[in-house]
Amino acid sequence: MQSFISTGLIGLSLGTQYALISIGFTLIFGIMGVVNFAHGGFYVLGGYFAFTLTHKLGLPYVPAVILAMLATAVLGYIIERLFVEKYVVDHLATMLITLGIYQIMTTGITLVYGAEPAEFRFPVSGSLRGGGFYIPYANLIVFVVCAIAIAAVYYLVFKTRYGIALRAMADDGPVARAQGIHPAKMFPMAFGLATALAGLTGALVTPILALEPHGGEAVLGKAFVIVILGGLGSVTGAMISAFIVGLVEAYSSVYLGGSKGALALFVLVVIILLVRPQGLMGTVARRA
Amino acid sequence: MTPNRHRDFKLDTWGIVLLLPLIVVPFVTTNPLLNSLTYQSAIGVSAAMAVYIMLRMGLLSFTVPAFMAFGGYAAAMLAKSGTTNVLALMAIAFIVPALFAIPLGTLVLRLKGVYFIFITFIFNEILQLILFETPTLTGGSDGISAVPPATFFGMGLETPRGLVVVTVIVCFVAALSALAVTQRFRPEFTSIEENETLAESLGVAVWKYRTIGFVASAGVSGLAGFSMVNMLSTAHPSSFASWSVNAYIAYAFVGGRSTMLGIVVGSLLLIVMTNVFSAYAHLSAGLFGILLLVVMMAAPGGLVGTAIRFLDARKARAQGQGVTQ
Repeated sequence: MQSFISTGLIGLSLGTQYALISIGFTLIFGIMGVVNFAHGGFYVLGGYFAFTLTHKLGLPYVPAVILAMLATAVLGYIIERLFVEKYVVDHLATMLITLGIYQIMTTGITLVYGAEPAEFRFPVSGSLRGGGFYIPYANLIVFVVCAIAIAAVYYLVFKTRYGIALRAMADDGPVARAQGIHPAKMFPMAFGLATALAGLTGALVTPILALEPHGGEAVLGKAFVIVILGGLGSVTGAMISAFIVGLVEAYSSVYLGGSKGALALFVLVVIILLVRPQGLMGTVARRA
Repeated sequence: MTPNRHRDFKLDTWGIVLLLPLIVVPFVTTNPLLNSLTYQSAIGVSAAMAVYIMLRMGLLSFTVPAFMAFGGYAAAMLAKSGTTNVLALMAIAFIVPALFAIPLGTLVLRLKGVYFIFITFIFNEILQLILFETPTLTGGSDGISAVPPATFFGMGLETPRGLVVVTVIVCFVAALSALAVTQRFRPEFTSIEENETLAESLGVAVWKYRTIGFVASAGVSGLAGFSMVNMLSTAHPSSFASWSVNAYIAYAFVGGRSTMLGIVVGSLLLIVMTNVFSAYAHLSAGLFGILLLVVMMAAPGGLVGTAIRFLDARKARAQGQGVTQ
C-alpha cells in the first residue's frame, strides 16, 4: 500500500512537470498554429542556463531558476521575431524552421558543455516520510513550483486582458485582428511565454532526471502524446492528460516494468485519436 | 499530356537520370569515401522517395523509419532462414510493410494535417518499443546480427562493391516505383493535395488514392530498410529511430518537395554536406540546421522549386516584353 501511494505521488509530480512543458507546446499551436520542434530544446537550454548560473557562477538555485526562465523567454521572443513570424501561416515551413533551430541549439550546447550529461544536482536531498507514503523532497518542491506556475498560466490565460486576446487569436484569428488585436505583438509574447515555461521546467527537472544536450527529443515526444491526448490547443486538456500520462508512467514502471507501460500509453493515445481526433477535451481550437 | 504534366514528368525523369552516376562509382573507384557517399545517398534517396509519395497528396508522414524497420527486419529474417536472393529479399522488403500499411492506412488516413503527423510519429515510437519488447522475434535491443548478404542467383554480392551495387539498384527500384505511382495517379494526388473536399465532391475516391499512396510509400520505405540492413549486415532498432525521419523530410524540403528532381538534389546535397561537415562532427548537426533554416526562409519551395519559379517568372517576363513589342 505504501508503494502504491508513493508511486501515485511520484506520478502526480511527473504530471505537473509534463503539464508545464505541454501547456507551452499547446499554447504555441493553439494561438499560432506552429508545431514547435524546438520546444524540447528550450527545456534543455533552461537546464543548462540554471546549471551554469549555479555551478559555474555560484548563484543560489532559486534565482538561477528564475533567470533561466527569463533567458529562455527572451530567446524564444527573439527567435519568433526573427525566424518564425514571417512563415507562421505555413505549418510545414515553421515545423522545419523550428527543427533547424533545435539542431543549432543542441550543437551549440554540445560545443559549450560537451556531449556527456552534466553533473547537475538538485540542491535539496532526502525524503518526506509520512503515514504510508514517502516522496523525495526534490519531487515535492518541483510539484509545488510547477503547480504554482500552472496556476499563474491559468490566471494569465483566463483572467487577464492579455489572456483573453490570446484566446481570441486562437479561436478566430481574422475576427481577433478586426477587433484590433495585433498578431505582431501577441505571437512573440505567446512564443516567449511558452519557451519560458519550457525553460522553467528544464531548470527544475533536469537536476532530478538528467541534463544532456539531446534530452529535448524525449521531452518533445512526451509533449506530442500529451497534447494529442488532451486536444491540440487546449490548455486544460493538456493539463489533464499530463496527469494521466504521469500516473500511467509511474504505475507502469513500478508494476509492469520495462517499456510495456509506455507501449500501453501509446496504444491508448492512438485509440483516442482514432475515436476522438480532437482529444479528450474535445475542443478544436484550430483546424489542423 | 498537358504542358504542366509533361514538365513534371521531365523533372521527375531528370531526378532518376541524376542518380545514374551512382551505379558507376563502385566500378570505377575503390575510394572508401566515394563508395560510402554512394550507398548513403542511395539509402537516403530511397527513404526520401517514400516521404515524397505522401507529400504529393499534401500529407507529411513520419512513418518512414517504422516501415523501413518492417522491410529491413523482414528481409533480415528471410536471409537468416537461407533465402538470400536479392530479388526475393527486395520483394519481401516491399510487400511486408505494404501489407501492414493497408490496415494501418484505414485507421490513420482519416486524419489530416498535424493530427496525421502526430499519429505517424507515435506509430514510430510504438514500433521501436515493440522491437525492444519482442526479443525472440526481432532480437530485442541486440537486433538481428550477422545477416547474410544478398546474392543474385548464386552469385555472391558480399564484396564492398557488391554491397554498394545492391544498394544503388534498390534505390533505382524505389525511385522508379515512386515515379510510377506518382505519375499514374498524378491528377488524383494533385486534386487531393489542392482541395480534398472539392476532389471528393467531383467523384475522386479520396480514401482509395490516399491508401494507394500510403501503401506505395510503405513499400518504398521497406526497400530503403532492406538496403540499410544489407549494407550493415544487421537489423538494429537504432537504424530506424524515430528522429531519423527528420533527415529524410529535410532532404525533400531542401531540394523541393514537388518534384523527384528536388528530392534527389536535396538528398545528394545534404548527404554530401553532412560528410563534408563530418570532419567537424561536433558541428555537423548545427550546420545541417543552419542549412535547413536558410533554405526554408530564403527558398520555401526548396532549391529546385525556387529555381523553377525563377525560370517561369523570367519566361513570363520575356513573353510579356514580346507582346508589348
